[in-house]
Amino acid sequence: MNSIEVKNLKRIYRATTGVIRRTTKEIVAVDDVSFEIKEGELFGLLGPNGAGKTTTVKVLATLLIPDAGEVRVKGLDIVKDANEIRKHIGFIFGGERGLYWRLSAIDNLRYFASLYHVDPEISKKRIPYLLDMVGLNGRGDERVQGYSRGMKQRLHVARTLLHDPDILFLDEPTIGLDPVGAREFREVIRNLQSEKKTILLTTHYMFEADSLCGRVAVIDKGLIVALDTPSALKKHVSDLSVVEVETFGVAEEVVEKIRNLPFVDALSVKDQDQRQLLLVQTKLGAEAVPDVMAALDGMRVGRVTVREPTLEDAYVRLVGGQV
Amino acid sequence: MNFKNLFVYWRTVLTVAEITLRHQWNDSFILFAILVQPMIIAVLALFMLRGLGGDYAMFVVVGSGLTGLWSSLLFISGNSINAERWQGTLESLVAIPTPFEVIIFGKNLANVVQSLISMTSSYLLAALLFGYTLKMVEPLLFLGSVLLSVFAFISFGLVIAPLFIMYRGIQQWQNAMEFPVYILAGFLFPIALLPNWTTPISYILPPYWAARALHETSTGAGDVQKVILAWGLMLIFSVIDLFIASKLFKVMLYKARVDATLETE
Repeated sequence: MNSIEVKNLKRIYRATTGVIRRTTKEIVAVDDVSFEIKEGELFGLLGPNGAGKTTTVKVLATLLIPDAGEVRVKGLDIVKDANEIRKHIGFIFGGERGLYWRLSAIDNLRYFASLYHVDPEISKKRIPYLLDMVGLNGRGDERVQGYSRGMKQRLHVARTLLHDPDILFLDEPTIGLDPVGAREFREVIRNLQSEKKTILLTTHYMFEADSLCGRVAVIDKGLIVALDTPSALKKHVSDLSVVEVETFGVAEEVVEKIRNLPFVDALSVKDQDQRQLLLVQTKLGAEAVPDVMAALDGMRVGRVTVREPTLEDAYVRLVGGQV
Repeated sequence: MNFKNLFVYWRTVLTVAEITLRHQWNDSFILFAILVQPMIIAVLALFMLRGLGGDYAMFVVVGSGLTGLWSSLLFISGNSINAERWQGTLESLVAIPTPFEVIIFGKNLANVVQSLISMTSSYLLAALLFGYTLKMVEPLLFLGSVLLSVFAFISFGLVIAPLFIMYRGIQQWQNAMEFPVYILAGFLFPIALLPNWTTPISYILPPYWAARALHETSTGAGDVQKVILAWGLMLIFSVIDLFIASKLFKVMLYKARVDATLETE
């Protein structure tokens, strides 16, 4: 049975400027998105910034009204039955906001428990249980303003589980977390999945989607460009190899020169402090290295490797190199 | 709505009020605004009124208290919606089973009670400092008027709150909303001094009936029948305001979901 059904969803943002001559600019955030999520499934929504991931989640969380299309959560209509849907969903939007920093974690949870109509006797037991579950045991009396980013994210998880919802929307929940914090957070998500919660996870991190999600939809410019299991998506690039070249201060023109080489299928650039990692997708494998090096034209180069493609490479190919 | 829901909502209102007070008392600026500033104003007001008669002084004491109460409701409650927006909690308060107006009711309750406590303690301190006697003519009726006024102010505040959900820039208009209510509700001088055409407007404002009941019971200007009439009309217009507010909240929240104004730009 499907927990979530999205059919031809469209959502436009309108920005009006001017007092006398008012002009309205329309930005299509989600153009035509359709997908279904089964009960108990962990479904990933991947896409670059501005692709429409957060807008889709906000429509599902009853925070935005769609301009067109049909959206159902537990068979209920997102516009007509918003109040009923709200009893069954929980959501986390990435980042540190969304909590009362001048209050303690316990007061934050007590407040939201009351707003979700959790009986005070039940919340007395549930709050310590959830704090323990997210690793904040013994820190509940401290004000949230003293928490690290990772602790705030974990408190968000506790907040969203107060009323024990069946469906969770996690919008880039590991963004900005340090590697240890992100790994712990992924463990929390795995535990939630083992409790048969239906989870929609949006993320930038391919390995995260690869390791957690049963199915993944890739969204770009408001459209779903691929929807499959991570292993099936990897098959999109199974005929390719990836040449990774570490460079220092590579110019945009040089990147374009490499992108235009006839054997280059897709190219993306990852900035890492002072370095840039060029990821060249090609069918040639190691044979492409001399031509890529020639295009770099004597520029300082670090490590050069050739490897098998990952889900991230499939994603890069699908969204045309925007990472 | 059944009685079980009413009980659950009332429990939520009390928790919201408690948490709102805790949150505000952890902010030194708000602590200054609600404790120290009213004391300074009260001390100055009573210093200036030392030579006047007791009734007039009481009229001004109650009237200035009401202006403080309205300002607190307009600024602290109104700004709290914008503050929720900036700290990213507004969305979390909308996409939940509790109606948003119940949350704002709790916030308004906290602010009204806080203002009353702060004003009472301020004037008691000022009276003590200057040896001034503030005589309450009908203390029991005055207490009843205070309780009903709390309800009247909360209800009236609820009619204005939806504007803060819808419009991010509404703060610019807050000052413009402050003085008309001072004047039309007769906080500081009787509305008989105003043009006749403004009288019907005053009559539909619950704070006007609150001010009338409080002035009459504190100065002894009105008899019991007049006070009961003010109570009745205060209640009727407060309930009408609650009804209007519930409709406005529905419309404004729907519009906020259409225009995406629940989040920061």
